[in-house]
Formats: sequence, C-alpha cells, structure tokens
Amino acid sequence: MLIQTVQNSRNGRAIALPQPLPCPPGCSGEPLIRLRKVVKRYRTPAGDFPALKGIDLDVYPGEFVGIIGRSGAGKTTLVNVLTGVDHPSEGEVWIGDVPVHSLSENRLALWRGRTLGIIYQSFYLMPSISLLHNVMLPMDVCGLYRRGQSEQRAMELLRMVELEDHAHKLPSAISGGQQQRVAIARALANDPDLLVADEPTGRLDSGTAETIFEVFSRLIEQGKTILMVTHDLSLASRVRRVIRLVDGQIAEDSNGL
Amino acid sequence: MRLRPRLQKVLSDLAGNRQRSLLVLASIAVGLFAIGVITTIYVVGPDDMRSGYAATNPPNIAVQALLFDRCAPEHIAQTPGVRQVEAVRYASTRLQTGPNDWAAIDLRTAKDLANLQIGTVTVVNGKWPPGEREIVIDQYKLPDTNAEVGDMIELETPSGKTKAVRLVGVIQDLGIGAFRGAGGFFNAPIQGFVTQETLEWLEQPQPKRYNTLLLTVQGDDQDEVYLESVAQQVREELERCNVQVISVATRSSTEHPNLFLSQAILAVLLVIGLLVAFLSGFLITNTLQAIMNQQVQQIGILKTVGARRYQVMGIYLLLSLLFGALAFVIAAPLAPQVAFPVIDFLTVQMNYIFYGPRLVPEAVIAQAVLAVLLPVSAALLPVWQGANISVQEALSGLSQRNPPNQGWLDRKLSGLRRRSLLLVVSLRNTFRRKGRLLLTLVTLTLGGAVFIATFSVRVSLLDYVNQIVQYFLADVNITLDRAYRIEEIEGLIRQVPGVKQVEGWMFARTEIVLADGSVGESVSLLAPPAASPLVKPILVAGRWLQPGDRNAIALSELFKDAFPDLEVGDTLRLRVEDKETDWVVVGFFQLAGKVSGYSAYTSYEYLSELLNQPGRAVAFRVVSQSPNLNNLEQEALGQAVEAHLSRNGIRVVDMTTGKHLLKTATDGFDVLTSFLLFLAILTALTGSIGLTGAMSLNVMERTREIGILRAIGASDKALMRIVLTEGALIGMMSWVLSSLAAFPISELMSDSISQSMFGGPANFGFSPIGYVLWLVAVSALAVVASVMPARNATRLTIREVLSYE
Repeated sequence: MLIQTVQNSRNGRAIALPQPLPCPPGCSGEPLIRLRKVVKRYRTPAGDFPALKGIDLDVYPGEFVGIIGRSGAGKTTLVNVLTGVDHPSEGEVWIGDVPVHSLSENRLALWRGRTLGIIYQSFYLMPSISLLHNVMLPMDVCGLYRRGQSEQRAMELLRMVELEDHAHKLPSAISGGQQQRVAIARALANDPDLLVADEPTGRLDSGTAETIFEVFSRLIEQGKTILMVTHDLSLASRVRRVIRLVDGQIAEDSNGL
Repeated sequence: MRLRPRLQKVLSDLAGNRQRSLLVLASIAVGLFAIGVITTIYVVGPDDMRSGYAATNPPNIAVQALLFDRCAPEHIAQTPGVRQVEAVRYASTRLQTGPNDWAAIDLRTAKDLANLQIGTVTVVNGKWPPGEREIVIDQYKLPDTNAEVGDMIELETPSGKTKAVRLVGVIQDLGIGAFRGAGGFFNAPIQGFVTQETLEWLEQPQPKRYNTLLLTVQGDDQDEVYLESVAQQVREELERCNVQVISVATRSSTEHPNLFLSQAILAVLLVIGLLVAFLSGFLITNTLQAIMNQQVQQIGILKTVGARRYQVMGIYLLLSLLFGALAFVIAAPLAPQVAFPVIDFLTVQMNYIFYGPRLVPEAVIAQAVLAVLLPVSAALLPVWQGANISVQEALSGLSQRNPPNQGWLDRKLSGLRRRSLLLVVSLRNTFRRKGRLLLTLVTLTLGGAVFIATFSVRVSLLDYVNQIVQYFLADVNITLDRAYRIEEIEGLIRQVPGVKQVEGWMFARTEIVLADGSVGESVSLLAPPAASPLVKPILVAGRWLQPGDRNAIALSELFKDAFPDLEVGDTLRLRVEDKETDWVVVGFFQLAGKVSGYSAYTSYEYLSELLNQPGRAVAFRVVSQSPNLNNLEQEALGQAVEAHLSRNGIRVVDMTTGKHLLKTATDGFDVLTSFLLFLAILTALTGSIGLTGAMSLNVMERTREIGILRAIGASDKALMRIVLTEGALIGMMSWVLSSLAAFPISELMSDSISQSMFGGPANFGFSPIGYVLWLVAVSALAVVASVMPARNATRLTIREVLSYE
C-alpha cells in the first residue's frame, strides 16, 4: 500500500496523509477532507466539556454535505475545527494534503483565505466598507489577484449574486438576504474549492433562504464542494449527503458507513 | 482615488465613528499640544533672553570705583584683551511717588547717551535720549513711579530739596541686575537715564566724573577664567592711575541676568513635559485598547478571509498613525497660539525681548516625532493582543485560553446581595475591565497629581517667602546721609509715637578675595547687633551670630553654590573698604537664593570697630509697638520718623518699609507662581480629556448592555444611575490616588525649582486648594463624561442598541 507523506509546516518533518476511509458508493478519487479521531474539549469553570468525541469523516470533491443536529450537538465546533478556526484537542484534520491541525494561527489565516470560503449565519461583513470592498478584501489580503483584476472579479461575483447595482453601498444599506449573498461572493473571492457555511439561512426568511440554496446548487454544479451546517430539515433533505451529529458523535451519515 | 480595501477600511473606521475618533484625536492632540507649548517656551524663552541680551553689546566686565576722571577709557582700551570701554556714572537718589512717598532710583548717565556703545537700551515709548532736565525710565519698575510719559517727576537732591524733571521716554534695559551682587534684577531700584547736565542740575557732586567702567573683551567672552584675567589686568591698570576700585565683576555676553530664573522654570517644564508625555501615552493606550475591543469581531473576519497577523497589525497601526498625523495637524498650529503669548507675558516680568512668533523647528520636530511614536507605541500592545486573538475567540467573544473566571474582587462584588442590584451592576462594570480601569486611573492620577502638586509647589514657594519675612522684621528701615551716633538717633526716633524699638545697623559693600589674590563677587554685608531680635535666620548649616563673636560671618546659600568646598569653620577673605580681612564662617542661611545675590551677616560690634566707627551707624531699623502692620501703616510710621529726623536736622536718604523690602526680595517668585498656575491648567486639561475619553468609551462599549437592561425594563433614570455611579467611583478612586501621588510629585517639582534657585532642596508645601479644586473638577468631569454617552445610548431604540456593532 502506498503511503502518501507531506512536510510538517512547523518542523519540516514528513508526516503521513491518513488512508481514506472505506469509499461510499459513487465516490471517486481522493477525499478533499479527512478527519481522523477528532476530539474537541472545552475548558469550563465546571470542568472539561467534550464537544466532539472522536470524529472520523471523509468528504470528496464536488459533494454537497449537510450537517444537522440539535443545538449543542457539535455542528459549529466541527465546522470550526475543519476550517482551522479552532484547534482540535486530539486527532487530525486534513484538507487536501494540508494538515490543518498542525498549522500555526498565522499560516492558517493565509491557507484559509486561499483555500476556503466561509459563510456565517451572522454574515460578518465589514460594516465600514462598501460591498465591493468587502468582496475584494480576501483578494487584497491573500495577494492572489492584482488590484485591477480583483476589482473586476469582485464585480463579477457581485453580479453572480445579483448585487452588482449595490456594489458601492455599505452593508447596513441592504437586507439580510442580500448581506448573505455578499458573504457568499466574498467566500468565493479567491476561487476556493471548498465552501463551509454555518447556518447560512438561519437568519433569513424561507423565500430568501431558498435563493441562497439556489446559489449553492449552482456552485455545486460548477464543481465546488460545500459543507453546510443547518437546522432546516427541508434544506437538508435536498443535499446529496447528510451527516447527523448527536452529542459530539456522528450518529448518521446518509452515504452510510 | 481608488484605495485598497484595507486602506479603505482604515479610513472608514476613522470617519465612521466620529465620537470615538474625536476622543482618540483629542487624547493625542492634547499631549502633542502640551509638548508643543512646553518645547516652544523651552527653546524660545532662553534663546530670546540670550540673543536679546547679547544684542545690547553687554559689558563683560563692570568696574565700580570711587569717582574718577583720570585714566581715560581710551587708555584702558589699550589693556590686552579689552575691546571696548565706556565710562558711566551711577547716582542713587529718591523719587517722590506721592505727597509723602518716596522710591529709590538709580540715575545713569554717560558722556553721550545717544551713542551708548556698551549695554544699549531699547526704546519702548517716547523719546531717547533724554534732553536737559528730562529723564527716561526703564519699563519694569515704571509703575512704581506713578508717572507716565509727559509727567513731571520730583527727584531729591543731596541737599534734601526736590527738583522736577520731565519723564520723556520709557526704555528696556536688559542689563539691570547684571552686576549687582546683592540684588539682581528684582531688587534693583527704579532705573533712570539723565544727561550729565541734568545730573549737575540735580546737584550731584562732580557730575562729569564717573564711578563705573563698562568693558567688553576681545576673544572668548564665554570663558570665565579669561574674563577674570582681563578684569584683573584692568583693575591693576586703574589702580596704577590711582583710581580706587570698589568692585570688579564679570559676565559673559549671553548670560542674561535672569537666566537662572528661566532655568528654574525650565526645570519644572521638563518635569511637566515628561509627565504630560506619559499621560498622553496612557490615554492613547486606553483609547486604542477600547478600539481594539470593539474591533475584535472584525479581526476575526479579516483572519477568516486570509489576513495574517502582520496584516491585521498593519491595519490598526496605520490607523494609529493616521490618528497621530491628524492630531499633529490640529496641535502643531495651536501650540504656538498659547506658547507665544506666555513668552510675551514673561518679557516684562523677566526683562527680555521677545522677537515675535516664529517657526520653532524643535517644537515641530518634537511634536512630529511624538505624533508617530506616541500612538504607535501606545497601540503596539493592544494591537499585538488584538492581532493574536484566534478567529474562534474573535467571532464568539469567548476566550478558550482564559475562560471566564471569577476573581477575588468579582466574588466580593457578587456577595453584595443586600445592596441595590443597580449598584452591584455599577461596581461590577467599574472593575470588569481591570486593565482599562488601571490605565484610566494611572492617567487621571498623574494628571490630578500634577494639578494638585502645582498648587503645593506654589505654597512651598510662598512658605519660603514667609520665612524670608524673618529677615525683614523691622517695620521701617532708615538710611541716613552719613554715620550718626546710635544713641542720638535712637533717642530721636523713640520720640515718635508708636515706636517700640530702634537698632543701629552697619552696612558695608565688600568683595570676595579669591585664593589667587584676585577679587571676585560683591557681597552685601549687613551688621545688626549680635543679639538683634530683628533677624530670625533660616539656618542650613552651622549657627547664627552670637554676642562676643569677633570676625564671625554667616553667609547666604549662594556662597555654597559658588564655593561648594566652603564649610562652617573655614576662613573667607573679604575686601572691606579697600582692606582685606579674614572672616570665620560660622553658618549658612537660606535667603532668596540667586534672586537675592551674595549676602552675609556679621555683628555690628565687630564691623563698626573694623570701620573705625564704633557707636555710630548709617542705617537704622525701627519696630512699631503694634505688631503686624500692613505696608500702608509701615509707610505712615516711616514718614513720621523721617519727618521727625528732618525737623532735627538729620537727613534721611532712604526710608523703606519691611513689607516693601520683602516684596522686592521675592518678586522673582511671582513669575514662577503664575507660570505654575498656567502649567496646572495645562495638566488639568490633559487629565480631563483622559477621564472624558475613558468614561465615554466605557459607556460606548456598553451600548449593547444598556439595550438589554432597557429591554428588561430599566428606566432611563436607572441607567443613568448605573453610569453615573461608575463615573463617580472612578473619579473618586483617581482623586484619592492623585492626592497621594501629589506628595512625591510636588516634592520633585519643588526640589527642581529650589535646586535651580537656591541650590538646595525645598521646604515641603501643602495646599488644600489643589485637592479641593481637583475634587470638584474630577466630579464634574465624571458626570459630564458619563452622562453624555449614556444619554445618547438611552435615546437609541432597543433594536438599534442590540444590533450595535
């Protein structure tokens, strides 16, 4: 069996890429996301609280995965660990051939900006700059595009989410649904393969939520991989693969393991 | 102009929250402003003093001698090292300022006043030079004459008659006090200029003769040793011409007579300047810390989209730099608007010429450097902390590294169950951000402490004045035209109603004889009876004079400054009336430092014997039967004594009240105390902005909390109570700390002044005024600073408040 290795960014040592889990029906190629025995414990005044209890998961390119579960099940923690926003207490997190669990905070920032697009329930747009500048921001800080290109690309992305006419407005001047579309445009700024969305429709009415879902569906058609945390079971039923978390463990994977 | 999104964010942040931006700007600008004012005064004051003085071509050597007409200036000019020589005549007389009031005046004349070569004067008003039977007076003591240009002035002639001359002009003579051993600028009498003809008309003896020779030197006029050596040769040359030299003094061309006082002011300025810079730094750290707290979520977003630590830091350091640049734009033009009027105000008080407002590169550079350094260095820690926050912490607002934990204080506060819940909320709010609280307190404490301290320093100076009173205990000081038998004069004066006691004092003008035999500074030697109760000295070493002392002498503290090795028990050689005599130093006393020049006390008994005038005296001290007379009552008594002596054929050449003597001895302090008041206002301003800033930020940060409280039913009144209690609590805590910190700070400031002026540490002064004023100011500020943002917050709807970013 061939063991793939990559260099650890901290100490330069070669580390082994974990072997894929048994491939579900219809999967092909190498997994984009590999989680192995991921544990996350939070320190609280009352003692350690285990939010994730040994998660093993592979996600393949082009998958649209919905993560569901009750409040406190560990959905957001799983997304945070996956995106490097939070570090696992134990276990390994790999995106492509990058060992996310071993990256420093600073390397994580650049990696995240170039590799991932994250969409939050609260949109988290910069309130003091225009929509156009919000979308340009990831390109500005990651330096993947030249200035002229980045503005052009930002306008294209705003056009894609049908907000081109509002490009020079501040976030406070548009509706919640529009703000979430800007957040999606921003997440796509550096053209990442993977989009991670944490309750992206949680603050939106059903009509607006439907629009956002349509945008995601179009992105899947374009070959993007999307991981979406949601409590909306009607939306969850429309994704290709559903993972249900209960008390920090995977209770169900619709692709079946 | 198209800007990168990051820069766009910086600018939008700056413009977006005007109230917050204005607070940061004010915090930085007030520091830059204070530094600008201080640096401008620090540079321009002494500069103008030196250059103005040098521009008068001041004498480097002044020789006082008995009247002479031999040894022409042209002859002395041949002495090696001498560049210019001018012979001058000084005559002391009195000027009538009221029906029975007189003031001492020194008249100066030279052969050609229109073409004064050395120690030139600046015309302030009217005509120069004076014509026949005309007088021109120096501006500083002009108010003492009660005359204006065009008025007639009555001058006393040696025979006791009065003659009127017309006041035709006012000048500024920067050389006043340059060569007066015991007196200096502040003690010098009114200075008048008349022609030789007028002097003759005023019946002054031998008006065409001179008693002073002013000289400038060739070569290095800053080299004291060189000046001394030229002066010694001039003295020898004069003595070869049989001119009897009384004193020789030297001074460099840039050493303005009041430079020492400006050094005292500069010492305080330096202390205040450093404190203000610290203060400003704390203010900015606090404000930027608050900004970073508000920006945590945005930092999280920036990191989510790929921004690295240095990029996040860059954004906020750039923001601080922009704040610094804007503050510079505000402060740089404002500082001269305050500094130059202050410098202008001091020109008359300290007798120098202000050459007008101008660009002071040192001040601009100091402000520019601080505009960069202050905000950036103050921002460094909060920005570093902010940039290092993890995305998870930034977005959730919860710290994993430091999970919420109740400290000792929090537990105590939670235990206050019997108190109003709103009070508990206020208390917890106050202590919630302990770092912020600490910085706010440090800022306010420093600002308040300096404010309070300036009042205490003022008191310490005034205390000093009150101590000096002990040297001027006599109500009236009379100087007669010659020495009289003490018994005779005492008998006459005692006939005047209200007189309790009379003492005859000897007085001699002497000079220090240095180790190499050359003659140094002039010393004013006073000789009261050894057991005189009219002098209660402040001894700093040794003892005071005792009956039976022979050649014992007590010296003023200025001797310690000039001769650090001189100790009690050492012998000091003085030239008294042309005779060199040895004196044993028995003690050192504190007078008014450099303001009062070199003075010394010995016993009447010994000096009168030395001068072959036992039982006789020229000067008499009179004490009233009523204690604590004011100046007017002392004047009345003095006039009665003078009139009685005149009726008995005794001519009084000078009558001065004790209070007047005290005033002239301490005039220099007034300049310092008014300057201290100005500095107190400056620091209070800095402290005030600090408190306003901190309180406003505290309330602004709590906008969401206010929304929650309102949502659960808290009234505007209840919210106001919470915020006001918090403001009052911080105000009071800072006041207590300021009160304590004021002690060492006032000691430091007093000592800085005292070292410059007296060459020794200061007496401790305490003023309740500063404490009370700061209490009032801090309370008022706490209310204003809390109420304004709280009112704004209560005006917002709950929805707006809860969505507050």
